[in-house]
Amino acid sequence: MKRKLLLVDDSGLARRSMRAMLESDGYEVVEAEDGIGALERYFLEKPDVVLLDLVMKGMYGLDVLTKLRELDSSACVIVVSADVQSSSQQMVEAAGASGFLNKPVNRQELLKLLNTALEGRA
Amino acid sequence: MKLNAVQEDALIELLNIGFGRAAASLSQLTGHRVLLEVPHVTIHAIDEVTESLERVIDSDVASVHQIFAGPVAGDALLILDQNGASILKELLTNEPALPLSIDASAREVITEVGNILLNACLGTFGNLLNVQVSFSVPQLSLESLGGILESLRVNRVGVQYALVVHAGFKLRDAEIRGYLVIVLSVASLDRLIRAVEDWEHNNR
Repeated sequence: MKRKLLLVDDSGLARRSMRAMLESDGYEVVEAEDGIGALERYFLEKPDVVLLDLVMKGMYGLDVLTKLRELDSSACVIVVSADVQSSSQQMVEAAGASGFLNKPVNRQELLKLLNTALEGRA
Repeated sequence: MKLNAVQEDALIELLNIGFGRAAASLSQLTGHRVLLEVPHVTIHAIDEVTESLERVIDSDVASVHQIFAGPVAGDALLILDQNGASILKELLTNEPALPLSIDASAREVITEVGNILLNACLGTFGNLLNVQVSFSVPQLSLESLGGILESLRVNRVGVQYALVVHAGFKLRDAEIRGYLVIVLSVASLDRLIRAVEDWEHNNR
């Protein structure tokens, strides 16, 4: 069975490039372009993993992460952000993220993080 | 306001590291080697920035603007000439670029490139200086340079300084000139300079 991923990013470029990487590796991908949309889609689609941008219009990624984990403590979220600050990585990990990846996304790193996250849920 | 030689040297080294990170990101995005010129940094009162930049940019520009907040707060702008912005779009999408005003795909690409480059540069500052900065959503503007800087000036109270980083880079034989403008209040500029001095002192 295909693993389902929810890709949350307000940049169409980021969504398209990650979708291409993930689909070629056999994942099913659903998308949301903002935080509210992400929360709705999460409960409709029940994805295995959420890939979440941090700086978005409306709700910030950190607020989306906190809300998701509040509503579903088993939610598995990998943050994908251009923010290279180690303090930001520590902050999202403290909020319950399963991983942190910097943009531009490296395909191998993304797939490795996903494998680790999915093994943890198996 | 003028930096002394030690402050300027430390700031340029910090910018080199930040720009190195930004160049690595750009190279990863485009799949091409990026050749960087040594960044040249100047500080101006915000009223003087337009004149200073208009001396080196004589075409229409595309700028990506992000507000950053934290102990050091201000506005960061990546300014590209529109020709360079179109080259970036072609490299990233393999599609011919149209004029930016009618090319939604190019605007989206440049906004995301700006987001990645500004974060790479300012985030590296944050890491090295031990200050946490948070960023707003990036906004692309195709206004004239004067218009962009004027909107920054009127939206802020108090004396503002601009740290202007002249950063040329070459990508696939194409010369793309980019400028990073960081607008700071006096207090933030002072905090930045102190943090840079501490960093320089700790790295001796």
